[in-house]
Amino acid sequence: MSRLSFQEKMLWGQLLCLAIVVVFYAHYLQHAPPGHRFLHVFLIVLLLLFAFVRTLMRRRSGNVVEDERDRSIAAIGARWSNIILWVGLVVIMVVYWDHGSLDSAELLIGILFHLLVLAGVVRIVRELVAYRMAA
Amino acid sequence: MSSRIRNTIRELRAGRSMTQQELADLIDMTRQTVNAIEGDKYSPSLEVAFRIAHVFGVPLEVVFQYEAGKRGK
Repeated sequence: MSRLSFQEKMLWGQLLCLAIVVVFYAHYLQHAPPGHRFLHVFLIVLLLLFAFVRTLMRRRSGNVVEDERDRSIAAIGARWSNIILWVGLVVIMVVYWDHGSLDSAELLIGILFHLLVLAGVVRIVRELVAYRMAA
Repeated sequence: MSSRIRNTIRELRAGRSMTQQELADLIDMTRQTVNAIEGDKYSPSLEVAFRIAHVFGVPLEVVFQYEAGKRGK
């Protein structure tokens, strides 16, 4: 008996959202001229949509959808995500100290965006692995 | 992720014709967590352990046993 739990379904949903954001970024935003607010609007719509779906699914399920095991797995994922973020930020600072400057703000934003995506993916995958290991 | 704590939840549940979902509802946990506890893949908190024992109306040591000799991974 190892059907996907509510939290696992949400994690797959988050992974899908993250993939959509990355595709959107790579195809539209990376080459768009400055001043466009595509990403802001897109992210807000995506977040609202995800929150709506999550609330709807939570209401439809009459059972408990989150407990101490979910919270402990979420803590494991958050720890991995924090490690990625810390390492990434330290690397950025070392590169900055080494070069004295970054080539452009665009480059910095790009690096931070990819760092956030990486941290998010690592968190989700780690949590999914933890769920499967203890399913 | 196996643990040194063994339990008799499956047997206790079977004796009362109780499903995992029914037990999960009684102790405010998810069915997946009950399944993980039964399979010795997750050790619940002390409070949840007491809640489970209370549902079955037995002492805690009847539900959970600690195997001191074996090492968990």
